[in-house]
Amino acid sequence: MTPPAAAAPPMNAGAVPQDSQANVDIMNVITRGVSAPWLIILGLALLGVAQAVGTLAYQTYYGLGVAGYQAPVFWAVYIVTFVFWIGIGHAGTLISAILFLFRAKWRNAINRGAEAMTVFAVLTAALFPLIHIGRLWKFYFLIPYPNQRGLWVNFKSPLLWDVFAVNTYMTISIVFFFVGLIPDFAIARDRTTGVRKFIYTILALGWQGKSAQWKAHNRTVLHLSGLATPLVLSVHSVVSWDFAMSIVPGWHATIFAPYFVAGAVFGGFAMVMVVMIPVRRIYGLEEYITDYHFENMSRFILLTANICGYAYAMEYFIAWYSMVEFEQTSFYLRAFGPYWFSTWCMIIFNVVFPQLLWFKKLRTNIPFLFVLCFFINLGMWFERYVIIITSLSREFIPAAWGLYIPSAAELSVLAGSFCWFSMFFILFLKGGPIIAIAEVKEITIHEKAHGGAH
Amino acid sequence: MPELDRRDFLKLVGATTGAAAAAGCSDPVENLIPYVIQPEEVTPGIAVDYASTCLECPVACGLHVTTREGRPIKLEGNPDHPTNQGALCARGQVGLGRTYHPDRYEGPKVSGSNGLGDISWQDATAKVAAKVKASPGGTWILGGPVGPTLAGVMDEFVQATGAAGRVVYDPFDHAALRAATGLVFGREVEPEFDLSGADLVLDFSSDFLDQGTSPVAHAMQFAQAKDVANHGGAALVSVGPRLSMTASKADKWIPSAAGGEGALALALALAVYNKSGGAHKKGGSVAGDARGVSDLMSGLNQGQLLKQAGVDSHDFDALVDKVLHAKHAVALPPGISAASQNATSDAAAVLLLNALLGALDSQLKIPAEDTAERASSYNDVQKLVADMQAGRVDVLLINDSNPLYSLPASSGFADALAKVDTVVSFATMKDETAEAAGLVLPDHDAFESWGDASPRAGVHSIVQPTIRPLHDTQALGDTLLAIAREAGASVGEGSFLDRLKTGFMGTDWRQAVANGGLLDAAEAPAAEVAATVSQINVAPVELAGSGEYTLVAYPHTFLGDGSAAALPWMQEIPDPVARASWLSWLEVNDKTCEKLGVDYGEVVEVSTAGGSVKLPVYPRGGIQEDVIAIATGQGHTVGHYASLEGDGRPGVARGVSVISLLADMADGSGARTWLNTRASVSASGEYQRIPLTQFTDNQRERELAPTVSLAAVAAGEGHLADPKDAGHGGDEHGDGHDDGGHHAFILPFDPANDADPESEYRWAMSIDNDKCSGCGACVAACYTENNIPIVGEEGMAMHRETSWIRIERYVDEGDRSDGLERRPHPDREDLGKTDVRYAPMLCQQCGAAPCEAVCPVIATYHSPDGLNGMIYNRCVGTRYCANNCVYKVRRFNYWDYSRDSWPGNLNLMHNPDVTTRQQGVMEKCTFCVQRIHAARQKAKDEGRPIADGEVKTACQQTCPSQAIEFGNAKDKKSKVVETAHDETRAYHSLHILNTRPAITYLKQVDRSGSDDERSHG
Repeated sequence: MTPPAAAAPPMNAGAVPQDSQANVDIMNVITRGVSAPWLIILGLALLGVAQAVGTLAYQTYYGLGVAGYQAPVFWAVYIVTFVFWIGIGHAGTLISAILFLFRAKWRNAINRGAEAMTVFAVLTAALFPLIHIGRLWKFYFLIPYPNQRGLWVNFKSPLLWDVFAVNTYMTISIVFFFVGLIPDFAIARDRTTGVRKFIYTILALGWQGKSAQWKAHNRTVLHLSGLATPLVLSVHSVVSWDFAMSIVPGWHATIFAPYFVAGAVFGGFAMVMVVMIPVRRIYGLEEYITDYHFENMSRFILLTANICGYAYAMEYFIAWYSMVEFEQTSFYLRAFGPYWFSTWCMIIFNVVFPQLLWFKKLRTNIPFLFVLCFFINLGMWFERYVIIITSLSREFIPAAWGLYIPSAAELSVLAGSFCWFSMFFILFLKGGPIIAIAEVKEITIHEKAHGGAH
Repeated sequence: MPELDRRDFLKLVGATTGAAAAAGCSDPVENLIPYVIQPEEVTPGIAVDYASTCLECPVACGLHVTTREGRPIKLEGNPDHPTNQGALCARGQVGLGRTYHPDRYEGPKVSGSNGLGDISWQDATAKVAAKVKASPGGTWILGGPVGPTLAGVMDEFVQATGAAGRVVYDPFDHAALRAATGLVFGREVEPEFDLSGADLVLDFSSDFLDQGTSPVAHAMQFAQAKDVANHGGAALVSVGPRLSMTASKADKWIPSAAGGEGALALALALAVYNKSGGAHKKGGSVAGDARGVSDLMSGLNQGQLLKQAGVDSHDFDALVDKVLHAKHAVALPPGISAASQNATSDAAAVLLLNALLGALDSQLKIPAEDTAERASSYNDVQKLVADMQAGRVDVLLINDSNPLYSLPASSGFADALAKVDTVVSFATMKDETAEAAGLVLPDHDAFESWGDASPRAGVHSIVQPTIRPLHDTQALGDTLLAIAREAGASVGEGSFLDRLKTGFMGTDWRQAVANGGLLDAAEAPAAEVAATVSQINVAPVELAGSGEYTLVAYPHTFLGDGSAAALPWMQEIPDPVARASWLSWLEVNDKTCEKLGVDYGEVVEVSTAGGSVKLPVYPRGGIQEDVIAIATGQGHTVGHYASLEGDGRPGVARGVSVISLLADMADGSGARTWLNTRASVSASGEYQRIPLTQFTDNQRERELAPTVSLAAVAAGEGHLADPKDAGHGGDEHGDGHDDGGHHAFILPFDPANDADPESEYRWAMSIDNDKCSGCGACVAACYTENNIPIVGEEGMAMHRETSWIRIERYVDEGDRSDGLERRPHPDREDLGKTDVRYAPMLCQQCGAAPCEAVCPVIATYHSPDGLNGMIYNRCVGTRYCANNCVYKVRRFNYWDYSRDSWPGNLNLMHNPDVTTRQQGVMEKCTFCVQRIHAARQKAKDEGRPIADGEVKTACQQTCPSQAIEFGNAKDKKSKVVETAHDETRAYHSLHILNTRPAITYLKQVDRSGSDDERSHG
């Protein structure tokens, strides 16, 4: 059959052994067979998904009463988790598209993992608006489609913008992800047999590694990057408008769009680290995903953490400066009210801890980064919890104030969402190359050609 | 393979598609069967109203029962009835729930080894008859007061069978008041008060706005008296140990010792008497025996009385001053919560005070006779219990009462009942007594049967059936006659109905039934003070038992003496003061709580000589430090809603019954006492969640319920930063306001623009906070009109209440201090502080509604006539509208309430004009859009616009205080526009947000006399 990725970039045909080694190392993740730990982890993930599906079936049949909603908190953990996963879904496209356009070569080693994470995070996030609505079986009312009842949707509603933003983003992420995978599917096709080979043959779309194909591929990636770049900014801006366009004190703020985007990139990078650090370790990919990559990501995290910190401070400043009592009360109660715990978690995990990244020693300390990023993810979840829950619980009418405590059902679905995401990721580890082989080779070849300097 | 031609193919396709389609229709086929012979008066889709009488309490207000296709679905007050004039209280609104209640007995029952089992009417009647025949001298009838005809049948029964007699028993009987009227005016009747012309109302723990002798009428009269146009309206001064619902409306609350009300009234009478030198305030002398009064007065010592009342002389002097300045002052006598061993003298002191104030024959009227049946002396009840104990009672027939619950445990009734050979209950619904009875011969429900009531002279109102009996029941009158006949006694011919008709001999029966009875209230003859007035003796209150605290048992606004505990609405609607529902709580002063080391929700044990109970603490400032208070009405062990049976815990009481703590005592005139014991309190370390709909009474200077001083009203000033003003153009605004707003951003309020310019209508409402008493009648009316589901204790605890209208209760302007606590509670009250504001909150039908813009599926939209419409079957339940509603009036169906929250036949009570809501959809107030539609159709048929006042929303219709106006804002002459056009008092809730609400509130008027401008934050 076709020689294994023999036709790599035509500019340096002499580096074949190097290429093969990359092929072998990375494909090894897929081909070396199913290990018991992998099966156990997948089984646990499936179990987690199954229990959440059970909860959701119960919830759909009996009603949203199983969730902890207490008026006036009408949005809760489901929406918190939705925003969380959408945020996670940011890093992938940012790395693939924006950094691609900026020619940040170091992205190549992590972009596949990040893209995969994006797609799976968006697939997870997209479920939550449905989980959250009162009548799941009528979700199609949210889609504008011609019907004989003459029903239409309300284009004034930010929630509808959300439907479009998330769907567009999901579509482009999947396309981007898939286009990038085509050359690697071809490698996989060439290294597998039987059913797997059959599947990879279909997925590879007849990739032969011809220069015309590479040309077309590179152009497609470039154009898709151009298309995806504004989406990185738009999707979370639109999600933020769900809040910013409302009248709720604590939500109604102009800073929300950039604030949410920065937060999403922040959280997304942290999630990439949380996912890639163990993967690198387990599958011995240190040669391809180096400390250098993690250090670069740490810099990004430091930058976005400070943007978030600035946004937090600005929210408080504007609330005070506006002299609007509703806003002032809302923010005062954020910090000192019944939900003070989540607010301080948010500030400490998202702003204080990342300041340690000013030190290069810590930036290159992988275990430290793993722990830090874990806390950042926790902090980002709390950020959404703070924004949504505290604002809703103390609105305009004190007589209607309330408190919300998550119910067991919501926690079950929250846990299920992590399992659902993990399930996809674990399966992908065995289904597609976790590192973009062709792109890594591109870099290594370049490094060879230019004396190894980065 | 046989050839398949085109025709066969089409046949097959047709057949399989048909089969598949048919298989999809798995629901059983239900046929709509039209009337073969359509009954007269029934037009499907058109409601028919029947006049009847409310039997929830002895006041017996007139009713209009709305029926649809033969089903009564809604109660409204009879506008022609002299007592309630169309209004109805919360309890009256939901009385219909009994008809369809799951607790109803479906037929006669006999007790067996496994509780109550079925028996036939014939056997049951024979069984009772045999017992009565065997021991006529040991046969007693015990029960609540009944209508004149039924009372006649009972007397006939007693006479014909030779039974020992009848004891009329009503736990909340006003016996002390009647005895006091006898003492002061020589006529032992229930006096009538008319507050409408008063300019000062003195409330001595009378609870006249929610309990009292005629709450609906009094609320209505009081609202009239408060009309600002009439010299600023009447002021209210309340005296009592706790800030009750009524006292919350007071302009001045004078905290007194529990049971000290009578002493204060007497001190006040003395002061007035001394000032006027024996003449009453209006100049004339007090009619009647001046000697009696002077004898009484000469024996009084003001200092002693004030000490006894627990009122300091500073407060007292101010009160005297106020009273002497008033032209038409009236004082209302103590109610249940203050019924101590001095109950009669306390009431008499207040009545005498009225006479000295010149209120006699104007604000206070003494009817010539009591036409209503009144309860026997409590001594008779105690005597009957003693007889039962001694085994002298063989047959006890119990009607319309639940003595096993409502008599104190210390009376020994439970033991006594067990000693009675045959206990027969005529209860319609399950209760403790009926469940303990040997035989239950269920009576029809009030809406299934004939009956009558004669609550006041000249009024003889009729109870008429509006539905066929749902169960195998029999009218009590007929049951008694059947028993008597079976026992061989000679009772007259004819049925109960025949006797009822006989009572209306000489009048047009049909017309009387149509009107609801004979409704010409007789004028009370002039009264004068009797010599016996000198017997008034207000001694220091003696309490049974030991313990640091005085236990006040106050009547629950909705549950009353406990008979309404079975009605889910009465359990669910939050208490007007505590905002709690579905359980009992212990009101304790904040400082006392600190002393006891307990906080909100902590369970304490309250012990008296009578027993002990455990219940959560509700700390508040508005109660005396040495007083603890528990509402009556809870603590039932039987009933789907009254006990925890509906939660699957049969036999477990919901809340606690305060009666179980009380001593079994009557006062000197044989009136039952409720303030008779001391109690001790000890912490238990447990915690219980109190379902609280509102846990802060701090409005944080947000002007949600502002007040305006009387001086400002008189001067016509006191502009709030009101969007209405901005519309007048050229009006320079903006300076001096620190409410966070820049008025340039506030669009003019123009109701006309908030509806389709083509539309003739923009529906609008005005609510007068000054008149609103917080009684909750509107809430109950809304529940029944709009099929609003019951969410139960768990639901209320999670703030999942579904009521479309709620009453918010705030104390003063508030400040920005609190909101930090996880379990806040109302804490702005203080002893003697009276600045409570009630503000009904419902959908404001905003012109610029935040909810409308954010719904992704247009389930909520703006109608041409300015309503925020809600399309339930379009809603997917994103709940974004509820987040964005600044008034928080949107309610969500967390469970399938429409399916699950109506056990028994309660679903039959649904209003067919209002859709029930599926699980997962939003709902909210619609301004009773079904009523608007009905009026619109009628107007269209008649080719005219809808007239002003033609549409009345359910809340407006029933409001005893008539605080609500509703109408078309585009009609400049409509009542609602006229009312809302009040430069001084009109405001819009949260106007700063520019939502352009269709509801205009009128500020509460502060008549406390302090000159500071309270309307500005």
